[in-house]
Amino acid sequence: MRSQRPELHLLTGAYAADALAGAELGQFEKHLDLCPSCAEEVRGLRETAARLGIATSIVPPPAMRQQVLQAANRTRQLPPSDRRLLAVGAPRRRARLRRPLTAVAVTAMAAAIVVLAFLQTATQHRLQQVQSANQAIAAVLIAPDARIETHGTTVGGTVTAVVSARNHEAVITSARMPVPPASRVYQLWVMSASGTRSAGLMPAISAGAGSTAPVLTADVQPGDRLGITIEPAGGSARPTTAPIAVLSVYA
Amino acid sequence: MEASSAGRQDDPGQEGRGQQLAGLLAQVARGDHSAFEEVYDQLAGPVYGLVRKVLRDPAQSEEVAQEVMLDVWRTASRFDAGRGSAGAWVMTIAHRRAVDRVRTETAAAAREQKAAASPENGDNVAELVENALDQQRVRRCLDALTPLQAEAVTLAYYGGYTYPQVAELLGVALGTVKTRIRDGLIRMRDCMGVTR
Repeated sequence: MRSQRPELHLLTGAYAADALAGAELGQFEKHLDLCPSCAEEVRGLRETAARLGIATSIVPPPAMRQQVLQAANRTRQLPPSDRRLLAVGAPRRRARLRRPLTAVAVTAMAAAIVVLAFLQTATQHRLQQVQSANQAIAAVLIAPDARIETHGTTVGGTVTAVVSARNHEAVITSARMPVPPASRVYQLWVMSASGTRSAGLMPAISAGAGSTAPVLTADVQPGDRLGITIEPAGGSARPTTAPIAVLSVYA
Repeated sequence: MEASSAGRQDDPGQEGRGQQLAGLLAQVARGDHSAFEEVYDQLAGPVYGLVRKVLRDPAQSEEVAQEVMLDVWRTASRFDAGRGSAGAWVMTIAHRRAVDRVRTETAAAAREQKAAASPENGDNVAELVENALDQQRVRRCLDALTPLQAEAVTLAYYGGYTYPQVAELLGVALGTVKTRIRDGLIRMRDCMGVTR
C-alpha cells in the first residue's frame, strides 16, 4: 500500500469522525504529516462527515442569533496565523458562554482567546487533546480509588501504573528503563478476557530523567492486565514479543 | 479512488454555495459583521443540529453552538480554502466542540443519565428540520451501507463515541470498527459525490 503503516492508514475514517482519542490520535496526526495519501483521504472523509452534520440541521433557538451577533461585536478576532506561532498553555475549559452572554463571560473568553494562536483546526485539536489528556491523567491520579502498581521489567527499570477501577482508566509511566534498541519501541497492551488490544506506544524516554511521560489508558476493567512489549518502530497490531512487564488491574 | 468520484457531483449547487461561503468567511476575517450575519444564517442551523444530535441536551447544545459560531467569527482568518470547504471547516469545529463536551466526564455522566431517563429523545426532535434535501441524500446513502458500516459511522459521528467505545457497543473487534468506519465513510463520500 501507499503507506508504510497500513494499519495507521485505516484510521483515516475514525480520525475524520473525531473518533480517535489519546495516544492514538497523536500517533495518527504524526503519521498524517508523512503520508500525503492519508491526508488527502482524511480531507475527503471530513467533507463527507460534514455533509452528515449539515443534514442534521434544525432551526436554532431564535434568541441565539442576537446573542451570538452581540458577542461577536465584543470579541476581538484572531489575526491571520503565522503558521509557526503556536501558543501553548491555552486553557481547555474556556469561560463557558452563559445565556444570555454576559460581558464578563465574553471578556474572559476573549482573554483566553488571545492566548490561543490557532494554527489550523488539526493542530488546535491536538492541543486540546493534549490538554484534555493532562486533565484526564489528573482525574485518575486523584481518583479516591486510585491504586499504584509498580513492577520491574525484564530489561531493567520499572513500570508504574496508577489505576482507577471506577474510572476504568490507568496512567502508566516508567523509570530507568533502557532506551529501546534502534527502530524498536515500547508498546502498551491491555490484556482482557476478550483478547489483547494495543493501548498505544510508550512515549520516548527522556534522556535526562530516564522516565517516560505519563500516558492514559482508557477502558481498563478489573481483571485486565497491562503489558509492555518491544515492537518494531511504529508499533504492531498484535504483540510480537514476550512482555517485559505485566501489571494486574485490581477492582 | 478519489479521482473516480470527481465526476459524480450530483449537486451542482453545492460547490457554488461552498465558494460563496468561503468568500463570506474571507470578509468575516476582515471584521465584516454583515458577512458574519450571513454566515450565521447559513450555518447556525447545521451547527445547532449537529451539536444537538451529539449532546442531546437542548440547553447545553445551545451553549456549545454559540461557542462554535463565536469561534467562526474569531478564527475566520485561519480558514484556508486550500485545505477544504468552508462548510466542512465550520462543521469540523462544531463536531469537535460537541465531542469535546461529551468526553469531559461530568458532561458524559449527565448525558447518560438524561439518555437513560428519556430514551426516545434526540431522534424524534419535534423541531423544524431544515435541509430536507441534504437529509434525504444522506439517508439514502446511509441505507446503501452495510448495517455494520452504517452503525459504526452513526455511533462514531452522531453518537460522539470513540471507535473503541463503538467496538464495545457493537460487540465487535477494534480492527473491524476501524475499517467499517473508514469503508462506510468512503462509500458515503462516493455516494454523495463529495469531490475532494
